[in-house]
Amino acid sequence: MRFEVPLPALGDEDDAVQRGTVSQWLAQPGDRLSENDDLMELTTDKAAFIVASPRAGKLLEWCVAEGDTVAAGETLCIMNVADAG
Amino acid sequence: MSKRPGKFPAWIRRAWPSGEAFREVGALLSDLNLHTVCQSAHCPNHGECWSRRTATFMILGAVCTRNCRFCAVNHGVPCPPDSGEPAHIAEAVSRLGLRHLVITSVTRDDLPDGGASHFAACVQAVKVRCPETTIEVLTPDFEGDARVIGTVLAAGPEVFSHNIETVARLHPMLRDRRYSYARSLEVLRKAAAISGGRSIIKSAFMAGCGEAESEVRDTLGDLLAAGVTAVCIGQYLQPTPAQAPVAAYVAPAVFKAWEQMAYEMGFSFAVAGPFVRSSYRSEAVLAPAAACAQRREGEE
Repeated sequence: MRFEVPLPALGDEDDAVQRGTVSQWLAQPGDRLSENDDLMELTTDKAAFIVASPRAGKLLEWCVAEGDTVAAGETLCIMNVADAG
Repeated sequence: MSKRPGKFPAWIRRAWPSGEAFREVGALLSDLNLHTVCQSAHCPNHGECWSRRTATFMILGAVCTRNCRFCAVNHGVPCPPDSGEPAHIAEAVSRLGLRHLVITSVTRDDLPDGGASHFAACVQAVKVRCPETTIEVLTPDFEGDARVIGTVLAAGPEVFSHNIETVARLHPMLRDRRYSYARSLEVLRKAAAISGGRSIIKSAFMAGCGEAESEVRDTLGDLLAAGVTAVCIGQYLQPTPAQAPVAAYVAPAVFKAWEQMAYEMGFSFAVAGPFVRSSYRSEAVLAPAAACAQRREGEE
């Protein structure tokens, strides 16, 4: 099953911190990932953050490139995951 | 794939918040109309703390009457205190099952008592609803008014914190003019005297603002002399480009050396590290044995 991986929302009042710049992909298309494996590094004004894979599966394609600014809710990549869960 | 050099050193890296517990905490706080410093300060520990189902509540609104150069909390003219807030905090503590909580506030120069009676009401509401929960208050300077500081202490918080924030020389550059290094020490000294040992007196300051090692030692000495027994030191991180830039990223080993120095100087509790915040894992101050284990765990 194709699964679009979104950038999780922070639930903040302030939209400014709900976005970051993709500094580095840490997983490549074709990689088999477990849940919580490192997916990408994102930087905000304050720190660098590691976004983890929300599900186990195979990374099919990146939807954002290094240097792109992404907002919470935006699709980061597409994975192929098992139907259950 | 291009590999750009990172803007941050390798140790300034956290997990992006996600997960069910994180979402639950967010929904609950929004439901009860509560503010947290986790959000207002754009805290990088936000994901970890909420996933552990802890949060630092920021009472008396989300608008501060002072404007410090390191702080991302909005400043301006605040709204009157929400009389329902103490009950909402108690409700959140009960629903989250918190064993320990930190209550802090914006500075309220517009209120006659600086918001001290509201602080006390919040502490009392939690004590009535959740008597087992321990409480730390992290207060503004209340203009050094001993009577007002006494109002907060009379509510019986286990920990009374007021942050010195930075070394003496950098105070005028980083803090709102109405704060001063001497005034903050005075608040701590008065709190220690009034409390008479019933509350732990705690303070925290930032590193990476341009302070020298000797100034860190001097600040620790001043805090100790004022009666502070627990101290936290953490890396300053610029919340948005509107705040003061970071002067230096202090290496984890240097923080560890400062922590050791604080213990050698006589503090009962000291924790220093890049992501240490005054409220981060603050329950450790009440359990020195647990603190040792958590410090080891924090050495990532």
